[in-house]
This record gives sequence, structure tokens and C-alpha cells, in this order.
Amino acid sequence: MSKQIPVVEGLFAETAAGPRLVGSKCSGCGTPYFPRSPVCHNPDCRDQRVEDATFGPRGTLWSFTIQHYAPPPPVKYDQPFQPYALGLVDLQEGLRILGRISTDNLETLKVGTPVELVVEKLCTAADGNDVTSWKFKLV
Amino acid sequence: MRDVAVLGVGLHPWGKFENKSVTQLCREAIEAALKDAGVAWHEIQAIAAASSRFSGGKGWGLNGNDVIEDMGPTGAPVYNLSAGCAAGGNAFNIGYSLVAGGLYDVVLVVGGERMPKGFIQMSGVQEETDPEYLRQVCVGMPGPAFWALLCRRRMEEHGTSEAQLAQIAVKAHKNGAHNPRARFRQEFSLDDVLKSRVVSYPLRLYEICPVSDGAAATILCSADFARRHTTNPVWVAASTVATARMDDGIPRGLATVVPRGNTEHSEATIAVKKAFTQAGVGPRDIDFIELQENTVYYELAFPEEWGFCEPGEAEGLHERGETLPTGKLPINPSGGFLCFGEATTAMGIWQVCEITEQLRGQSGPRQVPNAKIGLGQTLGLGGNATAVILKR
Repeated sequence: MSKQIPVVEGLFAETAAGPRLVGSKCSGCGTPYFPRSPVCHNPDCRDQRVEDATFGPRGTLWSFTIQHYAPPPPVKYDQPFQPYALGLVDLQEGLRILGRISTDNLETLKVGTPVELVVEKLCTAADGNDVTSWKFKLV
Repeated sequence: MRDVAVLGVGLHPWGKFENKSVTQLCREAIEAALKDAGVAWHEIQAIAAASSRFSGGKGWGLNGNDVIEDMGPTGAPVYNLSAGCAAGGNAFNIGYSLVAGGLYDVVLVVGGERMPKGFIQMSGVQEETDPEYLRQVCVGMPGPAFWALLCRRRMEEHGTSEAQLAQIAVKAHKNGAHNPRARFRQEFSLDDVLKSRVVSYPLRLYEICPVSDGAAATILCSADFARRHTTNPVWVAASTVATARMDDGIPRGLATVVPRGNTEHSEATIAVKKAFTQAGVGPRDIDFIELQENTVYYELAFPEEWGFCEPGEAEGLHERGETLPTGKLPINPSGGFLCFGEATTAMGIWQVCEITEQLRGQSGPRQVPNAKIGLGQTLGLGGNATAVILKR
């Protein structure tokens, strides 16, 4: 059985409630950050205390595109290349985030569709393990 | 601040030049600009150059140093400016500021590129702390996909059709066909564009700018110097630079804060509106625009974001032919990025050359009748933007 290896460590985690994105939130102004940020970047906020925060799973699809050509490195995909969807999702926590859209039916995607965070296989690593990333599935 | 004139402009044609170095491309553009200005190389008091990450510059973006070594090391100061695809506009702003501020009377602004093949690659850093790198490895989002997302959102908000998108590419090539420096000079029918393959839905191959090699140079000078060389100079009415705001709804990396309302391309909007203020003009005074359309989408979004029309009205402007050189609001009479291809850091300076020639009435079949004021704009990685307003 192949192992599940995150594409980049520390960006998402499996919790008791399901998969979540791991980031930060400013204690002063509440601005969410992903990935984690050691400080708040809001120029109108003087508070520099940030706390760990998790984001997801619910959001809506702000927009999407379907990638029809094989992009150059460092984009990862299995051969032969298959078109995939990616989107910009507004999460309930006020974070707008990019992610792959997990769907078998690329033709039926719609702006404004409710989506849910999942962690799924992105591609197969050279050693045969599964490289995983966060994605959004339609709900 | 002193008045600043564009005394000379010079371009190397855009294309693919595998047997020429970027320094050679720059030399040809500079020699054309010097000749146009009637100025000798040893009269250039300072150089503002766009820094490239793709070609020349000794790998450090020292493209201005390559130029002065090649043209003749006079000891003049060199400023190398880096701002992604906005670097040409940024170098122009520094050249302008040096003359306006009274430090120098005659300054060369130059940018040249030899681009690698394929669609433009954004990030130069392969590290997990780089947001653009993370975007590629975690999500798989090349440049055209980013533009496609924004375009698809517009289709939802304003009902933009695929034919309306394609029509903008048809218009671009109608203009570019008459521009001898453009790389792609053939006209396309609506059907040609709609039959070109989908790259990142909804954007098709002919609706996205490719990358090219090219170089552009301008000679800027003080009013006193200009009057000794010409009776009819083109003036810099405004030159501005801006960066993106915190409340911009477009993520620079993987994520951003959900904005209140529509706040996109804030860097470009700030730069253009600052330029209006600096020049003391408004959208109604602008006779034509040379804007950065990496894809046709930007010819819809930018005019609205800058106050040239209301949200949702840009499609109608294009459909009625108002954006042609003979229309009410000509956009990219040069043929734009679609016909030239993006020689990234040269583009802001190339726009100045195109606008200057329009204001002089030298643009031939793509001439905007009686053009008096032109606006140029660039947008670059890192949330950089520049704007320029030239007048005669």
C-alpha cells in the first residue's frame, strides 16, 4: 500500500473533524493568513500577535478555470496529462484560497457552487507513494 | 519639478532572434532612439534600465551595465530597476524622476529581453517559502490559468460571451497587422480565434499573449534641452508607480482575505488614478490607451476599473468598434501584447515609444486621428504597476 506524502509539509492536517488548512489569524484585527504568518501584515493593524488557526471545510467557488495544457515544472501531474480544474474559493472564515477542484465532470462547474475541503492525491511520487494536496469537492 | 520631454524613441522589432544577444537587441533600439533624438551617446548623462531575470544582466539584473559596457563606458550612472513585467514602466519612472528632479538633463531609459520558450513562468525561486512556487507545486496554476479565473468570474458577473472575448483578439490583430515592429501581423476572423485551442478555459490560444524577444529605448530630457533639439516635443504629463493594497481580492500567493466588494488590480488602479491627478486630466481627456493585455480579459476589466466606463459596459465599447483607432476610446492601437508578444521588461518602454509616435502622427494606418493625450500602463509580479501619460 502506498503512503500518503503531503506535497509540502505543514500546510494541511487531518483533524478529528476532518481535513483542515493550517494557517494563522491576527489576535488584533482577525485577518486570516495561509500559509502560517509570524506577523500580521495589515497596515491598519498595530497588533503583532498572531495565533495558529485552521480553515475549512466549507466555502463557495468564487471562480474556476480548466487547465487544458500540461504546464511546465514545477507543476506536478501524472503521465499522460489529463485536464484538471482549479478554482478560487471563499472560505467561511474569510479566507480566499486557490485549490484544485476535485470533480470527474469538468463541464458542469459553476461559479458560486458550495464546496468542501478534502485532501486527495495530486500525483504519484518517483518512489510510488501518493503525493497529496488540498482540493475542493462539490457539495 | 521640471517638465520632461520624450526626445527620442527607438525599437528593435519584436520576434524570436536566436542568433542575437539581448545586448545586441538593446543596441539597435538605443541607436534608433539616439538618432531619433539627434543626441550622441556621450551626451547621455544617466541610464535607467529594466532588470530582466530571463536574459543578460550577468544574472543579477545588471542589464543597464551590459548596455553601457556595450555602447561605450562613459562613467555615467546606471540604475537597474526590477518590477517583474512592470520593470520597463518602473525604469521609465526613475528616468523621468531624475530629469524632473533636476539631477540630469538627458537620460536613456532602456529595456530588452530574450525570452525562454513557452508561456511565461512567474517564479524565479524554487523554495517552499516562495508563494508563487507554492502555487505551482500545490495547486498547479500557471499564468494563463490565473487570467482565466478572473475572466470566468467576469463572464458570471457581466454575461461576457466567448465571442465577445474573441472579438477583442480580432481587433488586436486588425491593428497589429499594420505595425511593422509587431511579431504577429496577420489578421484573424472571429472564427479563427474561436477555433484556436482552449488553453485555460475560457481563454483560447489567440486570446493570450505569447512571449517574444525585443528591445525598446527612449531618450528623456529637460525642457531647455528639448527646445534646442526640436520644435514639437512630446511631454511626459505623468509617470507613476504603485503596489497592490492589502484589501485586494486577488491572491499574490495561495490565499488572501475575502475583500469587501470588488477590489482587483489595486496596483494598476492606484497608478492610473495617480497619473490622472498628476497630469490634471480625467478619463474623458485621454485620446487612446496602451494597456497591458496579457489576455483579452484586461481590455474589459481595466477601462472599467479606471473609470473610462461603468462595470459591464466594456463589452459594448468593443462591440460598437469604439476601441478601434477611429473609435471614441481606442485601446492598444499598436496591436498590443497579443500582436507583439511579451518581451517582459521592455514592454513599459515599448508603450512609451508607441504612444510617442501616435502623438507625433507617425503611426500610419493604425493612427488615432488627432491624438493629443495617451495613457500607458503595466502590471508586474509582486503587485507592481506603472502608468504614464504623454501629451503634445
